[in-house]
Amino acid sequence: MTAAAILAAGQSPARLRLNRFLRHRAAVASGFLLAALVIAALLAPWIAEWRGTPPDAIDLLNRLAEPSWRHPLGTDELGRDLLIRILYGGRISLAVGLTAAVAAASIGTIIGVLAGYRGGVIDAILMRLTDFVIALPLLPLLIVLTALDLGKLPIPDGWLAGDPSGLWRIVVIIALVGWTTVARLVRGATLAVRQHEYMRAAMALGAGPMRTITRHVLPNVASPIVVATTLSIGQVILLESVLSFLGLGIQPPVASWGNMLTNAQELVWSAPRLAVVPGLAIFATVIACNFLGDGLQDALDPRALQDRR
Amino acid sequence: MGRFVTSRLIQAAIVLAAMSFAVYGLIGLMPGDPIDIMVAGNPQLTSEDAARLRAVYGLDQPLLDRYAAWLGAALSGDLGYSRVHGVPVVELLFPRLGNTLLLIGASLVLSIAIALPIGILAAVRPYSRIDNAVNLLCFAGISVPPFWLALLLIMLFSVALGWLPAGGVSSAGSESLIDRARHLVLPVLTLTLASVAGYTRYIRAAMLEQLRQDYVRTARAKGVERRTLLWRHALPNALIPLITVAGLDLGALFSGALITETMFGYLGMGKLIYDSILGNDYNLALVGLLFATITTLAGNFLADTAYSALDPRISYRRQRL
Amino acid sequence: MHRALPALAVSLTLGIGAPAFAAGGDGTLTIGISQFPATLHPSIEPSVAATYVSNMARRPLTTYDADWNLICMLCTELPTLENGGAVRETTPDGDEGIAVTYTIQPEATWGDGEPVTTDDVVFSWEVGRHPQSAFANIELYRQLYDITVIDDRTFTLHFDRVTYTYNAVNDLRALPEHLERPIFEQDPAAYRNRTLYVTEPTEPGLWFGPYHLVEVVSGARVVLEPNPTWYGEPPTFDRIVVRTVENTAALEANLLAGDIDMIAGELGLTIDQALAFEQRHGADFQVIYKPGLIYEHIDLNLDNPLLADRQIRQGLLYALDRQTLVDQLFEGRQPVASTSVSPLDWVHTDAVMQYAHDPAQAAALFDAAGFTELRGGVRHNAEGVPLAFELITTAGNRSRELVQQVLQAQWQAAGVDITIRNEPPRVLFGGTLSRREFSAMAMFAWSSSPENLPRTTLDSEHIPTAENNWSGQNYTGFVNAEMDDLIERAEIELDRTERERLWHAIQAIYAEELPALPLFFRANPFILPLWLEGLVPTGHQYSSSLYVETWRRAQ
Repeated sequence: MTAAAILAAGQSPARLRLNRFLRHRAAVASGFLLAALVIAALLAPWIAEWRGTPPDAIDLLNRLAEPSWRHPLGTDELGRDLLIRILYGGRISLAVGLTAAVAAASIGTIIGVLAGYRGGVIDAILMRLTDFVIALPLLPLLIVLTALDLGKLPIPDGWLAGDPSGLWRIVVIIALVGWTTVARLVRGATLAVRQHEYMRAAMALGAGPMRTITRHVLPNVASPIVVATTLSIGQVILLESVLSFLGLGIQPPVASWGNMLTNAQELVWSAPRLAVVPGLAIFATVIACNFLGDGLQDALDPRALQDRR
Repeated sequence: MGRFVTSRLIQAAIVLAAMSFAVYGLIGLMPGDPIDIMVAGNPQLTSEDAARLRAVYGLDQPLLDRYAAWLGAALSGDLGYSRVHGVPVVELLFPRLGNTLLLIGASLVLSIAIALPIGILAAVRPYSRIDNAVNLLCFAGISVPPFWLALLLIMLFSVALGWLPAGGVSSAGSESLIDRARHLVLPVLTLTLASVAGYTRYIRAAMLEQLRQDYVRTARAKGVERRTLLWRHALPNALIPLITVAGLDLGALFSGALITETMFGYLGMGKLIYDSILGNDYNLALVGLLFATITTLAGNFLADTAYSALDPRISYRRQRL
Repeated sequence: MHRALPALAVSLTLGIGAPAFAAGGDGTLTIGISQFPATLHPSIEPSVAATYVSNMARRPLTTYDADWNLICMLCTELPTLENGGAVRETTPDGDEGIAVTYTIQPEATWGDGEPVTTDDVVFSWEVGRHPQSAFANIELYRQLYDITVIDDRTFTLHFDRVTYTYNAVNDLRALPEHLERPIFEQDPAAYRNRTLYVTEPTEPGLWFGPYHLVEVVSGARVVLEPNPTWYGEPPTFDRIVVRTVENTAALEANLLAGDIDMIAGELGLTIDQALAFEQRHGADFQVIYKPGLIYEHIDLNLDNPLLADRQIRQGLLYALDRQTLVDQLFEGRQPVASTSVSPLDWVHTDAVMQYAHDPAQAAALFDAAGFTELRGGVRHNAEGVPLAFELITTAGNRSRELVQQVLQAQWQAAGVDITIRNEPPRVLFGGTLSRREFSAMAMFAWSSSPENLPRTTLDSEHIPTAENNWSGQNYTGFVNAEMDDLIERAEIELDRTERERLWHAIQAIYAEELPALPLFFRANPFILPLWLEGLVPTGHQYSSSLYVETWRRAQ
């Protein structure tokens, strides 16, 4: 049925997928929104220079100022420009979200492919490891890990010195516990691919494991990976805000959406603007990531086509 | 079935043993013991005081010795005393356990009760306005950090409207059920709003999947009524992934309701575990975390059992994907 | 039990103010605090929250009042050398000692009807001296080498040294001997877990204050009701509920929702939150800011080669505009500190080096220290070493983080580069400070009692090292022979005028040498309902709840 449709239309599968994705309007809009957020965050230093309001420029005489031409979104509790801080916060929050999600997906893919492709004892060990990590109570564990004194571990000093805001520590920790979903998905998909005739043929013809994996397995498991990753970006951004709430997130004066939102808590009655702006940024990003994942799922899963009329 | 259960129990025991050691070690890696913190806050404490207190609390022993001692006692049924509260760990744990189970049970039931109809509705009319609206609401629910959701609910229902208490488990001196229920509303609502979205999405996806299946098409072609099809055939199958996810969530909620508990001053396990970790209350932290692990394992186990009960195609011997 | 009745009272107070209270009673007062008292034993790990609650239900022998004068509470008259209550004597070891005689209030009675007697004081002393007891501060029990019982109510304490605090026995707390001795003697090591204060805190016999505990819900609330055996002025509230809400934003919401009547200053809102609250609701509540003995400062690690130079330390302080910081962030409610001694303390003096904001003076001092070259906005010396420091404080403490960022900006303007690296409190206090592992600056607070000698923080013998098992709180590594000598002499100087002179000298050295950079004294915001009268904040660790019987509802 699907194959017939493709043949009839005379389109390449890639083209078809793109078309399917483009028909998902919310996903397209989300894609644009995310791109715009990323670009704005990347441009933050230049915007700050152009407006003459650096993110850490404290002005005690101009605290909690209402929006004005000079400060389009007003100023925060230390008189810093809220717009610029949101943009800089975006750099951190998006970086944490993207890198942690991608790192977790990479770990998950490697473990999943290995387990599904090799099977047997390796599969059993890896899957029990996955069960173990899933069984870990995540939030308390994160708290222990963020409060750890890494000085007691044999890690070279230089590694820690470059990370005063705690950014990479958070990324590494989230990646280390966040890979289980992807690993399970990928293992399942790999098992399914392995059963296919063409795979058996390729293996019988003596294709090496690396080649089989890169040529045949990975392209076929790409869709669950991509979807799971987009969905987890939003979760990671939320997790960072929760860690900030517990005082274990990104350290000042570096801004992140999470710590801006946390800091606004106590001023929620007098300056709700301080909470609304980062709140909306998180809200928009998480929603956009989810719609994007949705659209990608539709685009990458050929069966979904039938439902669109 | 017997073999399945036995092997899972053995696995669970191994995971628990590994967890207890990992947690003990991790807390040991956290710097400073409670005495250091006490000394730092009170300039009048002398070095002799600190050394004496360490000896009293057994903190002068090496980590491994302490773990061995703890394990020995725990295996003989003595889970020890909480250092901070000065009462047996069990005494502290059980009331909290009850509160937590009440909280997460209520929110689990409520989320599923909400998610089921709207998920089905969305799946029956995919990409319609209803579906889009449901999607948007779902995403909105998971896009708000829990502490904000809690604060907003307090502001609305307690401060502005004055309908519900802003926190606590019960009012002073009152032990009526209605009073407890009133205190439960906002925390349950917070947890529900955060989790209903996920369930709705799972139900929608699973229902879509089922409605695409050949047997549904065949049945429809044979003229089986749409309603029968939906409720008799598609729904039971669509429940399987939901149960898996709910089972996994049980463990996560157990310790992860921390934020909700903090905001509402609700006395649950999440808060207890968090406080005990940061307060360096070894016994309490350890037992609390182990309870959380047990709940997660139990959730997984229940999900798997329900999974195979609902789906005749899955035998007990088959490995989980 | 009349469970319905109290519930009714609660809903009435919270409701639209129908003043239908029992005759003569003031109804219920619900107090919000941000920490739960983990254990209510008065002498084992007494937390601020535990002290706050138990101060309503028991009284110390002596304490400092709201004017920071030493007064008698459980005793009848403060013994002094002048009135003959205290007499110098020679200890059995041949040292100079002192004998101080106290008499317990004649009507003081435990809630179960047993009188409060000398035995209760002696028992408390025995427990404190026991090596396996978990009493936090046993310095008192070391110096107090003997007690002579004169009669049921009168006893003489024998101290092995004569200090100016010879008659302050604020930490010697009477414990109900008739209830607690059997528990203690059964197993002294297990006493901390088996004491009735932990296992049965609502036992009336544990309390003799104006209120006694009737309900303790761990983590949530403590409920107190008037104690029928109380000997003093009768309290006016029929019921006091102390509720714990740990998140301060939620605590504020609870107040606005009417679930609590007041927020205690001892454990309540942060000052900036209180200021914002006052702006919006100042007309509906009394907001009192009480500056006190919580000294916010930055400890400097004097082993840091740059900070070892006094010119740099002084330059750093001149570069700060602390007054503007306090005025803008805290509306001037928290007084700028010139040394560790509070301006409210009678030994305080202004006649020390003052560091008003003076960029020129700061620049001159940095220049003199060799940091003349400005590269990328940061001063460097001839060897190319930048004037750069790491500043640590407690992560998650919002007020401190705000101050910290302002300081960073102010120093940046003076060419000093500051890197912020914060740690959770248990990491900072548990390791970094106590092992002196901070490389340059650590910002935190000391809280103390009135006229408290800075021996553990400034005496050179109290520098934590591996040899002394990391004890002592001289985290800066401050060594100054004159300071050591002054502390030694002040401690045993009983003449107020002479002691005041020594105190002034201590402050002068502190301000000149700057082992730590003084910032300000924290103010505790008390948020009270308009109808509450009689609550007087004390500003030190002996909380306002020691005078709870004077709190009343305005007519």
